Formats: sequence, C-alpha cells, structure tokens
Amino acid sequence: MAASDDSSSWNTLEVHKHHEQRTVCHTRPKYREGRRPKAVKVYTINLESRFLLVQGVPAIGLMAELVQLFALYGAIEEYRVLDEYPAEEFTEVYLIKFQKLQSARVAKRNLDERSFYGGLLHVCYAPENETVEDTRQKLQERKRFVARIMRNKARERDQTEVEKSKMPNGPEMAMCEKKEWKVTSQKEEESLSTSYFLSYPLLPPPPQEDVYRPSSFSEQTSPSSSSSSVLKGYQCKMQPAEDNMGSTYHFVDTGNEPLPSKVLKSPSHGNPAIINKQRKICHPTTRFIPRTTQLENRKRKMEEVCQDTLLGIADTSETLIGPRLPQQPKMDMEDASLNITANLIRNTMAKISSVPECKPAEKKATTPKPRRRI
Amino acid sequence: MSSGRSRFPGPDRFEYLQALVTEFQDTDSPDAKEQVLANLANFSYDPGNMEDLRRLQVTELFLDMLTEESENLVEFGMGGLCNLSADRACRDQILRSDGVALVTGCLSSRREETVLSAVGTLMNLSERVTDPAVLQCVLRFSLSSSVRLRNLARVFLQDRCAPAQVERAERELQGRTQTALGIPLPQDQPGDASLATGAEQSKAAGSV
Repeated sequence: MAASDDSSSWNTLEVHKHHEQRTVCHTRPKYREGRRPKAVKVYTINLESRFLLVQGVPAIGLMAELVQLFALYGAIEEYRVLDEYPAEEFTEVYLIKFQKLQSARVAKRNLDERSFYGGLLHVCYAPENETVEDTRQKLQERKRFVARIMRNKARERDQTEVEKSKMPNGPEMAMCEKKEWKVTSQKEEESLSTSYFLSYPLLPPPPQEDVYRPSSFSEQTSPSSSSSSVLKGYQCKMQPAEDNMGSTYHFVDTGNEPLPSKVLKSPSHGNPAIINKQRKICHPTTRFIPRTTQLENRKRKMEEVCQDTLLGIADTSETLIGPRLPQQPKMDMEDASLNITANLIRNTMAKISSVPECKPAEKKATTPKPRRRI
Repeated sequence: MSSGRSRFPGPDRFEYLQALVTEFQDTDSPDAKEQVLANLANFSYDPGNMEDLRRLQVTELFLDMLTEESENLVEFGMGGLCNLSADRACRDQILRSDGVALVTGCLSSRREETVLSAVGTLMNLSERVTDPAVLQCVLRFSLSSSVRLRNLARVFLQDRCAPAQVERAERELQGRTQTALGIPLPQDQPGDASLATGAEQSKAAGSV
C-alpha cells in the first residue's frame, strides 16, 4: 500500500468507483420492488457524506440555479464546479457541501435522476472529500442518533409493559377506565357526528309568519350563499368562543347581510333604524335560539319598542298588534319652538341609536373581499 | 436519519423482515440472494428495524456471509454488520458469536467498500482495540491513497487505540515483524475466502 501526501480534500478529483451509477436491477420480484427502480447496493455510514457530487449539469452557466435547487434541502456550506473532473460533453460536475448530513441525504434522494434544464442529474455522495474531522463527526453523530432512537424505543416499550402489568392487578379499574373511555369516546363521536352533520349545508328553517325573512330574498338571488350563510349561523351559535374573537361574527354576517340590506335600502332608504330593526329580527330565523332566550328577547324588544315610541322613532315595519295609528304619537310641547327642539332631539337620538348598529353593516361591505376564493 | 415513515409499521414490518429472511434461506437464485441480502443490510441502517432484525438473528446471517465465495455477498453482509453494530444490543450479539475474528478477516478484502465496513464495524464493536495485527493493518490503511480509507483509519487510530500501542505498531511496521493482515491477496489466488478468515493469525512476514 502506497503512502500518500496530505492533499487537501478539495483537490482530489479522481473518479471513484462509488461515483458510477450501477445498472438498475430488473430481476426483483414484485413484492420487493421499491417505488423507483434501483440497483442492488448497500449503504453504510461510510458511503454517506455531507458532500454531494452532482454530474450531468448542462454547461450553460447554471451554478446559481443548481445551488438554489439544492439549497431547498438545507444550508449549503460550500460549492464549486469541478472543471478537471471527467464529465460528459456539454455537462459540468459540481461538488456541494451541506452543513448537515441529513440535508445531503434528502437532497440526494430527491434530486438524483431529476431532469434539470434538459440534463439528467446524477447525484452521489462524495465522502472522499471529507477531512478526518468530518469523518469522525459523521461517525459520532450516527452512533449518537442510533443510541437515542434505541433509548426512546426502550422507554416506549417499558411504558407499555408497565401498563400491561397494571391491567391484571386491577381488572376492575381497567374496566372502569375502559367504560369511561367508552363514554368519552361516545361523546366525542356525538360531537363529531354533529359537526359532521353541520358540515353539510342545512335546509333553511321553516318560514315564520310574523317575522321578516331576508333569506327568502337571497335564496332567489343565490341559493347556495343563503344556505351556507344559514349554516354559518348555526356554527356560530355552536361556537361562542369564536364569536368573541369577532371573526365568526363577521364571518356569519358577510354572507347574509349585504343582500337583504341592498334589497331593503330601496323602499326605506334614509332611515337606517328600520334596516337595523329588520336585521335584528331576521337573526332569530337563521339561528337556533332556545325558547327561553326567545322569550327574553321578545320581552326586551317590547321594552325597546316602548322606549322608541316615547322618542317617536318607532319602527314602521315592526308588527304591531291592534289598530295602527295613522301617525306615530308625538308629544306635543304646545309651543312651536319647543316642538322644533323636540324634533331635533328625536332626530339626533334616532341617529345615535343607529350608529353602533350601523358599524358592522359598513364593515360587512368591506370584509367579503378577503374571503373571496380565487 | 432513518428512511422516515416506515412502510411496514409494527407487526407488519416484523413479518415482512421475517419473510425476507425466509426467502433468503430458501431461494436457489443467486440474484435473489444478493438482492434480499442487500435489502436486509439496508434495513439495518434504520434504527427502527434493528430490534426486529436482532430477534430474527440477522446478525448471524450477516456473519455467515463473510465466508462466502461471492464478493458481493461478503460486501453486503459486511455492510449490514456495519449498520447493525451501531446498536449496543446487536453489537453484543455479534460479540457473542465471535464476530470479531470474522470481521477482522474482511480487512484483507480486495473491495474497498468491504474493508471500510469492516473497519467501521470493528470501531463499533470495541471501544479499545488491542490486537497488534489489527493495529498494524489499520496503520497501513492510514497511509492509503484512498481518502476514505485513510480518514477512517486515522479516526480509528486516534479514537480506539492507545497512543503507545500505535507507536509500537509503527516501529513494527518499519521493522521486519509485519503481518499480512489487510493486504489483499492477488487476484488469481484460489481459496481467498478461507484464507481471509484466518488472516489475523498468520504472523508471517508480508510477501506482497
């Protein structure tokens, strides 16, 4: 065996036997065949390396492109073109040094035999470019890795054995646990099934007599959006946490609101209070609300209506039972100037009371955009 | 580090490996034997398989291959041992089966890959190597023209050998008391495999 000089690792440009691509094995039976045709070869840590030799790169100045491609798999420490390396005509050979062995491994697996600007890359490990220290690190890393995996496996096994040994000692306990688990799993199943159920567009709720329903309008224009908005309403009800985030709330309204408000604006523009009222009413039709809440809501609405009539801004669309007065009752101040002031106050009150309700409506006009799918 | 997600998790994987071992033992086709051996050796690289392979006594299977006529079978078996010996339990199994002698024999192989695997396996098998024949052989490797062999041999000498022993081996190398271990036999020599097993005992001066 001949002694040799200590040449730098980057100067060795011999063609090594392991650089050659071995002929693909075609005699494998089906069940032993992998996803890709491969030669019969055994990889050991000695053959692997952070250095990759890339052959078959078209010689049209693709250094940047090649390095970019390889950098997808991890940080590259060094790279250079091997001008002296015997290459096929019109191709170049590159040497790429990754920071980590794992990156080189994945890069080799994914990029070997990949077509690249009309050429077919042949990627192989180039461990002959390693220094002694590189080799040592590689071996130590491998040993540490195997030890860690085996330790983890042993720990897992111990845990399962401990659980197994517990079982015969307390079969009743185990039974209890099992039962509990069954119950919880059932619950999970239930919730799963409901959510599964909800993931389908629900039928719109049956029409109610005395309540204004904008969904009938929207159904005419776009049935899919209305049904999905109805569904969203349900989901929103089911997940109040998201409501608090504010996202689902807008989420719900976006589909539902713009349509009715557009429709409504024409007959009664100029009076936002009416629109607000109608929106408020239309919610109960689209969402499921428990009976008690509905009763409470009705009570609250009645009170609101009472207040509004006092202020003289009662809703015209609100269904009133009993004979309707030809005009809203307004308090007569018995003085022209006082009456003007009272009117002014009424108008401002009407505006103020409509402002906080109005805001989401404005938002609704803007929010649909980001939600739109491409 | 391993092949990532395994195609045959849990008991299925064990059964698949078992089927491979069975095929290896039953088949008459040398091609199939090589392929299955290569498969098993590559599976040995993945720590997730090591326990199953140990239970299937694949270490024994690999050790058997070291005395085969076919150089391919020797190379693949040696590669498998190099992969498996990284695990402590597998290492102990190899040691119990007197694997050191068989592996040492492979240091004289003509194939670089086999020699590299043998050196790597020896490093995995023992923390301290004291066999003077092995030491001399690795010392020679550390002067090899092959960078891979040279690097591995240097790591071996630095990490697995006492400096005093290395010095003595160097003196021996310069003197006349050399061993033939690690010197590949000429191509036309018959019975290469049988000689290789007992190579570490042959203290005769290297005639090559």
